[in-house]
Amino acid sequence: MKLKKLYKNTQIFKIALGIAIVVVGYIASVFYTQMRGLDSSVDLITNSTETQLELEKILSTISMYESNLRGYIITKDESYIKNRFLRRGEIDQNILKIKELVASNPNRVKDIERLNKLIDHRFDLFRETLLLSKSKYFDSVIFNKKLQESNSFTESMKTFVYKTINAEGDKIKVHNVNHQFELEDSIISAFLLVILTLLILLLSFNKTNVDVVELKKANDEMKFLNLSFTNAEKIAGFGHWKINIETGLYTFSDNFYRLLGEEPNAFEPKLENLNKYIHRDDLENVIQSHKDSLISYEPTSLTFRFVLTNGEIKYIKSVGSFTQNSKGEMIKTGVNHDITEQYVKTLKLEESNTELKSINEELESFNNIVSHDLQEPLHKIQMFISRIGDNDKETISEQGKTYLSKIGISANKMQALLIDLVNYSRTIKGDKVFEEVNLNDIVNVVIDDLSSSIDDKKAVIEVGSLPTIKGISFQIDQLFVNLITNSLKYSKDTIAPQINIYIEDIGIDEFYNDKLILDSDYHKIVIRDNGIGFKQEYADKIFMLFQRLETSPKYSGTGLGLAICKKIVDNHHGYITVQSEPNIGTTFYVFMPKEI
Amino acid sequence: MISHNDSMHILIADDDEDDRTFFSEAMMELKMNNKLTLFNDGKDLMDYLANPDIIMPHILFLDLNMPYMSGFECLKGIRADVRFKDVSIAIYSTSSSEKDIEETFVEGANIYIKKPNDFTKLKKVIKEVVNINWQFHSSGLNKETFFFSI
Repeated sequence: MKLKKLYKNTQIFKIALGIAIVVVGYIASVFYTQMRGLDSSVDLITNSTETQLELEKILSTISMYESNLRGYIITKDESYIKNRFLRRGEIDQNILKIKELVASNPNRVKDIERLNKLIDHRFDLFRETLLLSKSKYFDSVIFNKKLQESNSFTESMKTFVYKTINAEGDKIKVHNVNHQFELEDSIISAFLLVILTLLILLLSFNKTNVDVVELKKANDEMKFLNLSFTNAEKIAGFGHWKINIETGLYTFSDNFYRLLGEEPNAFEPKLENLNKYIHRDDLENVIQSHKDSLISYEPTSLTFRFVLTNGEIKYIKSVGSFTQNSKGEMIKTGVNHDITEQYVKTLKLEESNTELKSINEELESFNNIVSHDLQEPLHKIQMFISRIGDNDKETISEQGKTYLSKIGISANKMQALLIDLVNYSRTIKGDKVFEEVNLNDIVNVVIDDLSSSIDDKKAVIEVGSLPTIKGISFQIDQLFVNLITNSLKYSKDTIAPQINIYIEDIGIDEFYNDKLILDSDYHKIVIRDNGIGFKQEYADKIFMLFQRLETSPKYSGTGLGLAICKKIVDNHHGYITVQSEPNIGTTFYVFMPKEI
Repeated sequence: MISHNDSMHILIADDDEDDRTFFSEAMMELKMNNKLTLFNDGKDLMDYLANPDIIMPHILFLDLNMPYMSGFECLKGIRADVRFKDVSIAIYSTSSSEKDIEETFVEGANIYIKKPNDFTKLKKVIKEVVNINWQFHSSGLNKETFFFSI
């Protein structure tokens, strides 16, 4: 695994290749010097052999002269000494050549000089012997002595020459041995060089292969990415552009042109060519901001309009930022985003928002009308009814009294309705501040507020330990007022109302409209009474606006109370359900979120 | 301090003629030995109070929704004047909106009365309010006791 990783690392490979090249270079230079050494060995051997040859030639020439002289002495035949006898030229040539060959060896040069002198002396001896043999006063004693001297001199000269030849021979032997070693070294070096070169070549080839495959893969991926990007640009309404600040050259993507309503590459990517597409009112600002950024290298974010050739207007958000490319040149790249749809939507949203605000204001003023302006005449009617009832009790007929009481009931009903309407509209209004609400505190205050009706009905209310929730205080207050009032209102005449308020754990399979309600998410608050109840099939109806189950005048109601409850619970992202059975009682379940 | 036997000076500012009538009739029927002065609107009331020679009122019943000068403006004006620091102010309005109750409480009203829809109740309210031990009521004043419930 580790090796593979190392192998994959091109950097390490480069270093290895570098080292290998240095090693090959080193071995090659060693090989070169060895070759040079070999070369000089061969030169040395050739040199020695030639020297030997020349020396032998000299000896043989001398020997030839000797035998010619002997022939003459014995036969007195002049022809022995006529032709080519005692000619120094040939020997001088030999000496000259030897001198050249041994020029690098000072000892040998001295030897050759000595040889030259010996040869001179031998030639002198030749001439003396020849003269003696030709002399009329031939003295055989002197002549023999001269011959002997000549012989011994020739011998000593030969000895000298052979010594030199042998010395050259020894030199060749040493050279030969060296040559052998050098040759072996060179073979090893050459072999190593070849193996190493092959190895490096193989590795390099393999690596190149691997790299090429990877490059091709990367290239394919890049192509695919490019294609995806082009598609993505098209779908998302993006176009990108860049400018090389060093060269001043712009690049526009295909979709950049499409955003302008043009075919890709419809015109040369130049800033000036964009002028006619940018809205007249935006042009100066856009171009200036862009140009400023090219100096300051500050990122830009511009929103402007493109005016297409067909007159269509597109809202564009263009963001640009700076990076450096691989050459270290500063590049500004950017994305143009077609936000027309968004912009139009935002405009519409703003419009509806304004509309909503005015509706809200209207609701507010309606609220004021209901809560004050409508209540004032009503209050007056009620007051006058009570005045007539008090002052003119005796003078009014029985029927008149009935009518008066009916007017009074209707007026009270109207007042209750007005109050409920105000309460309902308050639950739809926007200003909802969520705060910590202790339900026990709320319920206690509500019971206190309702104490007169509770006392009238002789009702018993038992409250368990309730949680603290996040809620809109006055709405939670209203919720309990309405639920308790509801229980008091629809109580049985025969027994005193009993109302229980407590919390319960949520079972594992409790649903609200197919949504599973978990104990971890909600408080379940139960409000149970022993009132007249109703048929379960009407359960959903009772939470609807102006829906009433009981129409008998005994049970007065506006049809708003429970609708308000539902609205309040909705406002708190909770749920309210009811379970009821005629003559047994009704139980409301309120689910309030534990966290908002 | 004012004892209950002393004659009290009570003011009421309400733009509604009928409501003023109900109020004075109720006072009459209660046979209280008090002096009642009526004002048709806030401006009337403030003009009267600006006079330094007036008999200092003990209780002022103040309607909120009035032309020219609302009860709320009157309340602010009166509470800003140290002369009237001992005057008890009872807001007397058809509205029982949370906003009105809260704002008048903050501005220094002593009690908030929602106009009763029954004459008998009205008499009961006036009787109780006039007989309140104001010193005791004001010292323990909070938002719960501020709103007068019959």
